[in-house]
Amino acid sequence: MNRSLPLVILAMAILAFATVMLVVAPKVQIGREPAAAGLKPYTTEQLRGRALYSSLGCVYCHSQQPRAPDQAPDAERGWGRASIAADYAYDSPHLMGTMRTGPDLLNVGARLPSASWQLTHLYQPRAVSAWSIMPAYPFLFEVKDRASPGDRVVWLPEDRRIPGKVVVAKPEARDLVAYLLSLDRTYPVPRSAIRDDGYSRGGATQ
Amino acid sequence: MNDRKQQPATDEGARDQIHGRVARTSIYALTGGVLLFVFAVLVRDEFHFRGQESAPPEASGPLSFTPPPMSKIPDGPAGTSIRHGMAIFENTGTEAKPFVGNQLACRSCHLDAGRKADSAPMWAAWVSYPQYRAKNKKMNTMEDRLNGCFSYSMNAQGSPSGGPPPKGDPIYADLEAYFHWLASNAPTGAKLKGAGFLKLKLPQSGYDRDRGRAVYAQHCASCHGDDGQGRTDINGRQVFPPLWGPRSYNWGAGMAQLNNAAGFIKANMPLGAGNTLTDQQAWDAAAWIDSQERPKDPRQKGTVAENVVAFHSGEKTFYGKTVDGHLLGSGTEVPVQASRR
Amino acid sequence: MTTDRESVDEAFEPYEPKRRVPLPVYWVAIALALWGALTLLRDSSADRTGAKQRIAEATTLERRQTATGSALFAERCATCHQADGTGVDGAIPPLAGSPFVGASPGVIVQILLHGIEGPISVNGSDFDGHMPAFGSVLDDDQLARLATSVRGTWGPGGSISPGFVATERARTAQRTSPWHGGDEIATTLDRTIGVQPAYLPAPRSPDDLTAQSIASIGKAGGWSCASCHGSHGEGRDGVPRLAGLSPDYIARQLLAFTDGSRPNDIMRPVAQQLTAADRVALGRLFASLATPSSSHPALEGDVARGAELALQGDDRRNLPSCFSCHGPSGFGVSPNIPSIAAQRPSYTAGRLAALARLTSRQPGSIMPAIAGRLSDADRRAVADYLATLPPSPATSSKDAR
Repeated sequence: MNRSLPLVILAMAILAFATVMLVVAPKVQIGREPAAAGLKPYTTEQLRGRALYSSLGCVYCHSQQPRAPDQAPDAERGWGRASIAADYAYDSPHLMGTMRTGPDLLNVGARLPSASWQLTHLYQPRAVSAWSIMPAYPFLFEVKDRASPGDRVVWLPEDRRIPGKVVVAKPEARDLVAYLLSLDRTYPVPRSAIRDDGYSRGGATQ
Repeated sequence: MNDRKQQPATDEGARDQIHGRVARTSIYALTGGVLLFVFAVLVRDEFHFRGQESAPPEASGPLSFTPPPMSKIPDGPAGTSIRHGMAIFENTGTEAKPFVGNQLACRSCHLDAGRKADSAPMWAAWVSYPQYRAKNKKMNTMEDRLNGCFSYSMNAQGSPSGGPPPKGDPIYADLEAYFHWLASNAPTGAKLKGAGFLKLKLPQSGYDRDRGRAVYAQHCASCHGDDGQGRTDINGRQVFPPLWGPRSYNWGAGMAQLNNAAGFIKANMPLGAGNTLTDQQAWDAAAWIDSQERPKDPRQKGTVAENVVAFHSGEKTFYGKTVDGHLLGSGTEVPVQASRR
Repeated sequence: MTTDRESVDEAFEPYEPKRRVPLPVYWVAIALALWGALTLLRDSSADRTGAKQRIAEATTLERRQTATGSALFAERCATCHQADGTGVDGAIPPLAGSPFVGASPGVIVQILLHGIEGPISVNGSDFDGHMPAFGSVLDDDQLARLATSVRGTWGPGGSISPGFVATERARTAQRTSPWHGGDEIATTLDRTIGVQPAYLPAPRSPDDLTAQSIASIGKAGGWSCASCHGSHGEGRDGVPRLAGLSPDYIARQLLAFTDGSRPNDIMRPVAQQLTAADRVALGRLFASLATPSSSHPALEGDVARGAELALQGDDRRNLPSCFSCHGPSGFGVSPNIPSIAAQRPSYTAGRLAALARLTSRQPGSIMPAIAGRLSDADRRAVADYLATLPPSPATSSKDAR
């Protein structure tokens, strides 16, 4: 370590540069972006579900950031249009995720709006798709002899049923589903929105 | 380097030299590899994006021709005539109602409003008339040819007026105006690529009606119906044309000849998936369609057998043959005019 | 180093002598830098392309918004009534000389708003068809321009104002079905139209109650149709619209989900519960729903290009127009060819993308071949265009062929 000072200066410069480009500049660009007109704040129930979404680690396999058509066929997959900064106004911290082991979920509430489907799928994903690799979440459910009034009974295909028992959703499951169904960014994009214009020339029709 | 040379062990020095050479070679190899890779990526990107941007060019001969787009139809009286000609072409049963005796329109066989190559496109027809035709053994003008279309393909004998439009009818002028415009800048008299129907060689095993029935059921019936009567939409409008029976073309039509039908089928059917059937399948499907009864030949004076000699000798057709105990060519009952329900 | 022995530090730490960096390393560095710069250049130019494309799309949509009445007619009406307003013999009534065009301005506005089904007599010919409702896809301004243009070309002329359309819209806002034949128009809106053939409502079949319960609450606790497809079969982004599809088509698809010939994990478990009678009844139920369109372009597709593909096709890519098989307005041709009008764009585009992937496996089948020739941008363009169409009209069982 003959020349420690230049090294430290260089390291600090790199760090400062990265901070400016990755933290300060984006903040200047999108920090003041207001919530999109069609976006509603989360309800208490949805927020509880959101906390559950974080704690169960959903974000490790599911992203919440559909890409522009030039970058990925997300719109054709039914995952919705490319997201804009205003879509995340009420998400703090955001749960954009980086992995796509499972499908993107930013518009799952529009794509799969059936609460009863969501419950079945959370209880046992293989009841819907035999090839699914998503973990089941049976601990969000209760197996009872019969449903009491007010219980949300989960429908299962015949081969998944437990004879003489019913599967009932616990409040946690209902919170999580409420959060999933709130994921719906299908409202139109404001003209002025900061957004991703894609990068490939292949997307142009002309 | 000087430092190294002071090292006493010459053995090690030699080894170092070898190491140095190996290292140098690997660096050169790596450089070449990386350069090649970069170059390949650049080239691939360029071609990949190109490929997505532009349409795959269709194989084209020296005299291929593309008709002008519809948006280029001029304004003014000429444009009015062209537009009306196009309307007749697409909506023949309404625009030329007195002269149409079936549920077809010009565009039923001349696909894409007479623009599509290999479905007897009108831009190619326009530049090849007047023409001598063996069918009526005389020099034919375009009007004569159109008269024939109405008589046979449109089965004018079953129309309200009982015949094709009389000579000089404005229907001819408007249709010709449309063809003339489609053939804008086409070389007159030249043989254009895609003219007429595809000439399809008869395969070794000929054509067979029973094989055709299976081909028809698999590839044609979902649109044209098991009974060949085509299909209508919720308003009773014919979307897929009837292929046989009283509402289709009559025995005098060109399409009633197997070679024409097979060529048309091969190049255009199923619509949007042309050239996916084999030649054999096309001939067989044509045989199945042609071996069904349809309105009689309007030229017939005496018996079917006499008419075969007079007008159908040398043709590849089921006309005059007996299939399942039925003499093809006897004709269908007089079609009920414009009754779709 | 040999000159000054005394100054040699005994605790000398050996260091690498200076050596030249081999030339190839520079080349690699230069090549990589060049690559990076080129990529950056391409990206930045494409960034502008993306923005330009977006502006072009917005302009297209705006141009459609402000299109003249005759342009609206050419795009929206001419596929059925024909560019010259002659209609189609036996199927689509003519506009020239039609008593409905000639009647008081409220008549044409009402027909445009709600559509019309059932028997109608025009210029001595009887028709029995379906005109779609434009109320959900055209705004008051557009409807006013369109109605003015039609009345100016084939009727008594005069101008219809957006305000007038708004009043007419408010007056019949409660109406959920199309006008019932020429008879209802003639008796309730304008008696000068004259005598029209009587309208006979289709009989309701007893199955309808079962189908309604499956649709709204599900069969034996299973997921209901409405929970995804909406209570009126209107669909959502990514969930297809069902209202107005042909009954045979719906029944066939439900069967295909059951036996796996149309693989769909979400539909399979519920479809497997249905009996043949359920499938037929559900088909009839959704076919009979006159639900306004709530689809809108959502995939950033080029709507003008989509219109070109749907109406004319593309000779250069050997693409037939959509309407040449799916019917003149995309209403489908029973039983195999579905309605595509007012369908949800992400469903349409997703389906086309899925079909395109089948190309190699099923030679000769039509849609995979066509979808395979559509570029990704074309798929989005056509899906977005179809979302702007009026929904295909509801049909009752008497129409089933």
